[in-house]
Amino acid sequence: MPRTPDIERKTSISYKTEEKTVLRGYDLSELAEAGYSFTDAMFVMFQNRIPTQEEEKMLRYEMGVFLEHSMSPSAAGAIGVSVGRPNLTSAIAASISTFGGVHGPGAAHGYMMKKYLRRAHEEGKTVEEIAKVLVDDYMDNGTPVMGMGQPQHTDSDPRAEPIHLKQEELGLKGVYLRLQRALEKYFHARRKAEGRRYVGVNVVGAGNTALCDIGFAPNAAWCIGSVCRGFSCAAHALYNMKRGRAWAASKGEPMVQMLDLSMIKYVGPEDRKVPKQSERQKYAKDQKKEGEYKKWVI
Amino acid sequence: MGDLKPKDKKGIGNLDDPGLPFNYSEREYGTVEIDETRARFQWVSEVAYKNVHRIVSRGYDTTELMEEGYGMTDVLFVDFQARIPSIEEDQMLNYVMIMALEDGLSAPAAMSRLVAQSKTFLTQACGASIHAFGHAYGAYSAFGNRLLDELKNGNENGRDMNAIAQDIVDNNLDDESLGVSNLMLKDPAAKRMVARAEKLGVAGEYTTLMKLIVEKAQAVSGEPIDLDMLGAMGSVMMDLGFTAEATWAILAVTRSFAAGAHFIEEIERNEYRKLGQVLTPKEMYDGEADRPVPPLTERRENSKPALSTNLDEWAKAEEELKSVWGSGASIHEEIEDPSKKTGIKSVGKKI
Repeated sequence: MPRTPDIERKTSISYKTEEKTVLRGYDLSELAEAGYSFTDAMFVMFQNRIPTQEEEKMLRYEMGVFLEHSMSPSAAGAIGVSVGRPNLTSAIAASISTFGGVHGPGAAHGYMMKKYLRRAHEEGKTVEEIAKVLVDDYMDNGTPVMGMGQPQHTDSDPRAEPIHLKQEELGLKGVYLRLQRALEKYFHARRKAEGRRYVGVNVVGAGNTALCDIGFAPNAAWCIGSVCRGFSCAAHALYNMKRGRAWAASKGEPMVQMLDLSMIKYVGPEDRKVPKQSERQKYAKDQKKEGEYKKWVI
Repeated sequence: MGDLKPKDKKGIGNLDDPGLPFNYSEREYGTVEIDETRARFQWVSEVAYKNVHRIVSRGYDTTELMEEGYGMTDVLFVDFQARIPSIEEDQMLNYVMIMALEDGLSAPAAMSRLVAQSKTFLTQACGASIHAFGHAYGAYSAFGNRLLDELKNGNENGRDMNAIAQDIVDNNLDDESLGVSNLMLKDPAAKRMVARAEKLGVAGEYTTLMKLIVEKAQAVSGEPIDLDMLGAMGSVMMDLGFTAEATWAILAVTRSFAAGAHFIEEIERNEYRKLGQVLTPKEMYDGEADRPVPPLTERRENSKPALSTNLDEWAKAEEELKSVWGSGASIHEEIEDPSKKTGIKSVGKKI
């Protein structure tokens, strides 16, 4: 049986021999035997270090609170895929892949914080001063401030503020939390002054701040959050695979199903005749000339 | 909408053919009315719900869980099993997940790195890595369901663990999802995991059965074999109460964290690949020799139809196509036996 690697690469993350699997120098089996937690191993993997107890607690909290979020794009994605009854893994992969620019954009928030902290450092500003600059930069341009607002938890994400408090309780109030707290303060003040409704910090704003303060780079933080959600999406997909109806369109169910035909609302071009092939060239030219089709182009 | 008349639709292709069992041109246009006779669609879930102020999994507010000192691994028990685990169970799950996290440059890491080369989102690479967990690599579903079914059948028929283990070995010795192989002869990690489960008092009938399977398999195997990571992780996870599918999902996702690290390192240390950049040296090619493309005018002389009009022709064609690697003719996929309620599917086995 060939045991050569699937891809040839220099890597500083791990190696694996017939005797052991080694992560950043630590024998994985020894790490587990010594009583370290899975969250400890995440620090070893992404940061090449054993974390403090407080840092480990923070990550455990963050991952635990982020894991389940009921019906979000990720769970809906997993359920949508599961109704076709592919392998379970396809539903999980789809759920993780839903994390993009809007759903849990952890990396972008981290890079935003780093960008403004670097500016503060270069321009001799305090963290609090640069937070105000950040908020003004975004709001002056009509761009949503990353980490603020959640479309379902409209008057404050139930996970977010408690994450801030936990970070403070654990003595992990670093430069990122200072920046995040300050930007929230200016953000709320400015919106209030403009007569706009309250928009609270979301789990990316709070959670990613904590992850940055415990040393995770933006992409590592994004990975942690997005993949962690994969666990609960697997549960949602599994529930639907085991208890739900495949295809999600059965007329025999007491409730209208997700893919029932009546769920389709069509707002496109009117029903129309298929042109004969003999008329095709003229039809196509006329259609292009009229240009009505352009309003439907996506 | 729906103002087209049937006569407008006459004469399109074969759609007026009397062989059609319906009158195609008279079929209605327009969407289906909202069904008011049944309850409206809702996302139905036993797992979790949320409202504006709370996220609740299996009845537990997840923020309250964290504030009470529970962690991510505890939530896995809550989500998949609707229960709070004992401290020992949580410790064991942490142990298993550490061992599942990293596996060097095996398929999940390789897939993540290959996706990374195309300059895409990290999440797409992590998602791709999950696909590595099929029914050979990470065969937790096939492994676990076999143990589950055999234990159930054995208990119903009054057979003891020894007999159940012997049956499993007799029928599956060479199966990639047995949990016993020559992969861990020098690495004690799998056996240490089972020992830890026993020490923590969380080992149960699955690890007991697994140990017996190892014994029976060793007795009949012509080569040295031992418990492997699939057997250790699979049996311990099932003793922790996770179903075969939950085990499959949890361990695949666990590995995906490391796939993220490999994605990052790939970008940090290597370059993106452009379309057309990667060459395949001729030395790697063992297909047809280079040959001229026949002119289109000679198509009839050079073409070879695939149509078989009788079973002998069909069988011959099937055999011939097996020599064409990449055609799929050499792969046999077994579908579930419709005469049985359950059965283990084997996917993509080479004939």
